Amino acid sequence: MQPISRVSLGQIVGLLKAVDEAGGDADVAEIGRSVEMDLDALGPIVNAAEFLGLARAEEGNLTIEELGRKVLNAGLRQRKAIVREIIKELPSFQRLTERIQATGRPATREEVLAAIEERFGSHNAPSIFNALIYWGRYVELLSYDSRSERIELRQPSPPAA
Amino acid sequence: MTKKKVILEVNDVSRSYFEGGKEFKALEHIRFDLYAQDFVCIVGPSGCGKSTLLRIIVGLDRPTSGEVLFEGKPIEAKNPQVAMVFQSFAIFPWLTVEQNVELGLEARRVAPSMRAEKAKRYIEIVGLTGFENAFPRELSGGMKQRVGLARALATDTVLLCMDEPFSALDALTAQNLRDEILELWSDPALPPDAVLMVTHSIEEAVYLADRVIVLSGRPGRQVAELEIDLPRPRNRREPEFYGWVDDIYSLIV
Amino acid sequence: MAALRRRLWVVGGAAFGAALAASLLFPTTATEAGGLGLLSLYSLARMFAAYALALVFAIAYGTTAATNRKAATVMLPLLDVLQSIPILGFFPAVLLFFVSTFNGSPIGLEISVVVLVFTSMAWNMAFGVYEALSTIPHDLEDAATEFGLTGWLRFRRLMFPAAVPKLVYNSILSWTNGWFFLVASEVFAAYGTTYTRPGIGSLIAQAGSRADVGGIALGLAALVVIVLGVDALIWRPLSGWADGFRIDVPRGETVRTVRPYEWLRWIPRFPGMWRRAATRFKPVSHVYVGASLRLEHAYARHPSVPKTIRRVDLALFLVVFVIVVSAGLVGLAGLFLHLPADAGEIPAAALSSFARLVVAYGLAIAWTIPVAAYVGRSAKASRILTPVLEVFASVPATALLPVIVGFALAVTAHASFGLQVASVLVALFSMQWYLLFNLIGGVRSIPGDLNEAARSFGVRGWTYWRRVLLPAIVPSFLTGSITAWGAGWNALIVSEYFPFTRDVHVEGLGWLLDKATFITGDSQLLLFSIFMMIAVVLAMNKLVWRPLIRRATVRYRVEAA
Repeated sequence: MQPISRVSLGQIVGLLKAVDEAGGDADVAEIGRSVEMDLDALGPIVNAAEFLGLARAEEGNLTIEELGRKVLNAGLRQRKAIVREIIKELPSFQRLTERIQATGRPATREEVLAAIEERFGSHNAPSIFNALIYWGRYVELLSYDSRSERIELRQPSPPAA
Repeated sequence: MTKKKVILEVNDVSRSYFEGGKEFKALEHIRFDLYAQDFVCIVGPSGCGKSTLLRIIVGLDRPTSGEVLFEGKPIEAKNPQVAMVFQSFAIFPWLTVEQNVELGLEARRVAPSMRAEKAKRYIEIVGLTGFENAFPRELSGGMKQRVGLARALATDTVLLCMDEPFSALDALTAQNLRDEILELWSDPALPPDAVLMVTHSIEEAVYLADRVIVLSGRPGRQVAELEIDLPRPRNRREPEFYGWVDDIYSLIV
Repeated sequence: MAALRRRLWVVGGAAFGAALAASLLFPTTATEAGGLGLLSLYSLARMFAAYALALVFAIAYGTTAATNRKAATVMLPLLDVLQSIPILGFFPAVLLFFVSTFNGSPIGLEISVVVLVFTSMAWNMAFGVYEALSTIPHDLEDAATEFGLTGWLRFRRLMFPAAVPKLVYNSILSWTNGWFFLVASEVFAAYGTTYTRPGIGSLIAQAGSRADVGGIALGLAALVVIVLGVDALIWRPLSGWADGFRIDVPRGETVRTVRPYEWLRWIPRFPGMWRRAATRFKPVSHVYVGASLRLEHAYARHPSVPKTIRRVDLALFLVVFVIVVSAGLVGLAGLFLHLPADAGEIPAAALSSFARLVVAYGLAIAWTIPVAAYVGRSAKASRILTPVLEVFASVPATALLPVIVGFALAVTAHASFGLQVASVLVALFSMQWYLLFNLIGGVRSIPGDLNEAARSFGVRGWTYWRRVLLPAIVPSFLTGSITAWGAGWNALIVSEYFPFTRDVHVEGLGWLLDKATFITGDSQLLLFSIFMMIAVVLAMNKLVWRPLIRRATVRYRVEAA
């Protein structure tokens, strides 16, 4: 989960588009120049795209993978379905959903934070928690109410008629 | 080419501010029409009054002389068919995504069930399904602007007005959102019919618009109205693209 | 939530311990304890009544001043004056008015107590609403206009939420103020008659006049429990909730949107019942919505209508204002023509009151700055000391009168010197907490980077104080000082004449006011003294505090990174 915390899908897709515009294969530093973002800002996005299997970085060169191509060509809804399949398989995400299934009740923010802290330390916990919620909400497998601070499982909405 | 339907007429609009008996001109003699299916960008240097012009067009400000007609009638701020997207997003921090999107409908006293249905639809269209009950502070900048967009579209908007909608976002987020707005605009089944956008980025204007209206600085005067005939999707690395950008630069500087 | 629960336990435990100790030490007064609960309820009911009034007033006044620019030119200075007036000085007049209106029935007394407490709460809250509304970002207002938010919906969706953080923050201050005045007003003597309403304040005052130590202790313990209980059950949850309404949250600060009473989840909420009630209410709301819709259509057809309404509104307001001001001027002119016999005492009295306040202020500074520096910088000290300080601060100075006077007279050999000490102490207790808590906030808000930079350059000891700590707390010091002085001026009325404890007094403006109302019934002297006090307070605000704040905000503001 860590590589995709602090990064949004919009940024990842934006990156793929920039690479695509440059011919599907581009130097990271050159992309950074063309979008006026330094390595501090661009690095995490590149890592996230790699982590999700959408792009491959080799010796400062970024190439769009097949899955990334699919994401680029998909509409909003298909894109979400593709990402859902990736997120579903992440261990941190699975641990959370299994926990909710096992207890049969919504998980609280406090509980989940404590579990993350045990594994990744208290320094990283809040950003990992936020990432779980962000991606879980985006792929429509989790719902979260920030007022009661409770996390529940949900069914993705059906494809539009 | 068949004559397209006129949506908006900007007739000789001027705007001055008065201070201590002195007149300060912000805009002078702006005139252009907007047709159905138009995507028009207004560009100009900072301080050329382009944001003031947009505020006049949506009815938030009044011209000193001249008039703005929407579908033949003088524009009013609360007209739901003309909606605005703000640079700073201007979404309400104490309302959820859903409540923010419903705002314009609530003001028009649309029944709650109908409101919920429409909000759901437009939240889906801008890709925020799953975040209905989130508060703005839980969202990234790009998502906040999506809320602003959904809110603007939810009132069955004919003309979407945007004031520097991407300038508070990072370049990658902005590019992704630009393409999504182009998709929305080109889909005849979905609102809006036409888009009018203010920007200081010439590249952005050339990337998005059919027509670019170029203003000069202080007071804002209309120096050119250009038809960008590049095929879509446009590639910002092609020489033709750069030709247009250079042309507009030379008009302003 | 866990913190809240812990706090409740602490408060409950302290209450129980105090009650137990009191009942063991003073068995006779323990029997009174049964009545204590009832008395507390009376006092609380008055507080809530006054607060409800203040809330309605603050929202109405603040909204009008923020939305109507012409009205604001009159309303804001007026509010400024009202806020600076030592309210207790008017109390006898208010009391007499209501008592005679209701033919001496207790209702008149109750109303005058509530009115007094109201006046100690309302201005500050109204200012808060005005400030919050006039600082709403323009884009947000434009968006509201653009999407057609008008009338009630605009208020509900834009204005009220925007005012919430400031309103809650100022409410807490107002509530503290309210206790001070409530305790002072439950027993009041005017023109030879003592008016008493049953409550915690009167309990303490009466125990004081009997020199009943157990009674005083019991009353104070009960007061502490109530004040802290209300804080834990109402203000803390509310300020957490109010955080969700903040518009500009500094970077790096996370704000959570909380439901304030989530920990009361286990109480059944009967959703069915509410739904049924809502359906019953629906026709009513439809009528309301329909009516407002028609009204709005009427407005749309006749754009001049709302303007006319606003003009009539403003005209009424101006008329009332002019009448009040001219009445005041006529009264003033009359006063100058027939100077009261002891009017000559006023300047000297003002000077000695001022001198005592200066001494009290000096003492307050002397102890609060070091304590704030310690508590504000050490997490451990803060954890241990903050609750203790909060308990002490929860006791309004007016409730401590018997204790302070008894103590001062006991430890000083010379009676008149002892009274001076007592007077200064009452002022000190009225002033010091505002200073302390503002300073702690100021010390805490020093950015960590600044402290680390100082440490890495070896800035320590006195240099640290002079170069980092003191400059950084200047703004909060000034804010605290203004509030403290306001409280000090208000305390004069109770700090220079002690009719219940012993019938003794010290010279000063407060004593003149007391004498004019309670003893000689000299309304001219009363008015003169009040005008003198208002003049001094306004002069200090305009000539001392305002310029200082203006300079401080330019020079000492630590930008939030």
